[in-house]
Amino acid sequence: MPNGLSKVDHSSLKVNQAAIIVLLLVAFVANVPWLVAVVAAIMLAGSAAGRPGFFFIYSWLLRPAGLVRPNVLADNPEPHRFAQGFGGVVAALAALGALFGAAVFGWAFAWLVIVLAALNLFAGFCAGCAVYYWLHRLQVPGFSKNPPAGVVPGMRPRA
Amino acid sequence: MMLLEPFLRLVMAAAIIAASLAAWALVRALVLSKARRGATGLSVFRPGLPGILYFTTKDCLTCKAAQRPALRDLERRLYGRIQVIEVDAVDRPDLAKNWSVLSVPTTFVLDRSGRPRQVNHGFASAAKLLSQLQRVG
Repeated sequence: MPNGLSKVDHSSLKVNQAAIIVLLLVAFVANVPWLVAVVAAIMLAGSAAGRPGFFFIYSWLLRPAGLVRPNVLADNPEPHRFAQGFGGVVAALAALGALFGAAVFGWAFAWLVIVLAALNLFAGFCAGCAVYYWLHRLQVPGFSKNPPAGVVPGMRPRA
Repeated sequence: MMLLEPFLRLVMAAAIIAASLAAWALVRALVLSKARRGATGLSVFRPGLPGILYFTTKDCLTCKAAQRPALRDLERRLYGRIQVIEVDAVDRPDLAKNWSVLSVPTTFVLDRSGRPRQVNHGFASAAKLLSQLQRVG
């Protein structure tokens, strides 16, 4: 792998983003704040484990069924982990707001997660990754990775 | 009343999604507009023939596996009636910058005067490009 990059399966990331979008949309339409809390918990657990929270949907269901094929790219896994963790924190704030009387604030945060996940899924731009690389440029400890060569920070690397 | 709230929320969700799609369309239009303003340096373009400007790089697998075959297919179908201009974004960072290319493959559909009319970020099938070329005329 060039420049110390690792293999990152972007199909698993996309499935994760799609699951987050669908579940948060269902939570909003059905007005089910606890579902936002569940999504937040899965995202945060995924970040802690170093993999997409909804990886199980991909690895147990979609990939074995041949519905989604792996798309392994040379990339840094850390920014994606950070982005998911950041999204998980925002989703947790959304759940707290929606559960404890600040519904507008809570659902606005849930929509922020939906929009940023959709931006990543459909446009290939990971806002959380861009923030990670920005913190790296500011030399914040713990943010040690450079974006892949020739790739705009946050954009999906070339296949 | 019990059904009204989910319905209203569904309408709100649809409105937010529609607004997001409109914002995305606006971004694409801005990219296209910026490309039109900066569309310079294409000395190989032959006026009079519509074309595809295709940005790629040597290590782009999607380009090799999908985009280039799609463009070959398109050239076969429209033999002599279009021009395909391939640009390596790493070799020509000036062109990539002028045309606001952030990732590859990126394809621009050019009209007969070389003016960019459509942009595709990511893989664009031969059928999609053909449809875009037909709209350009």
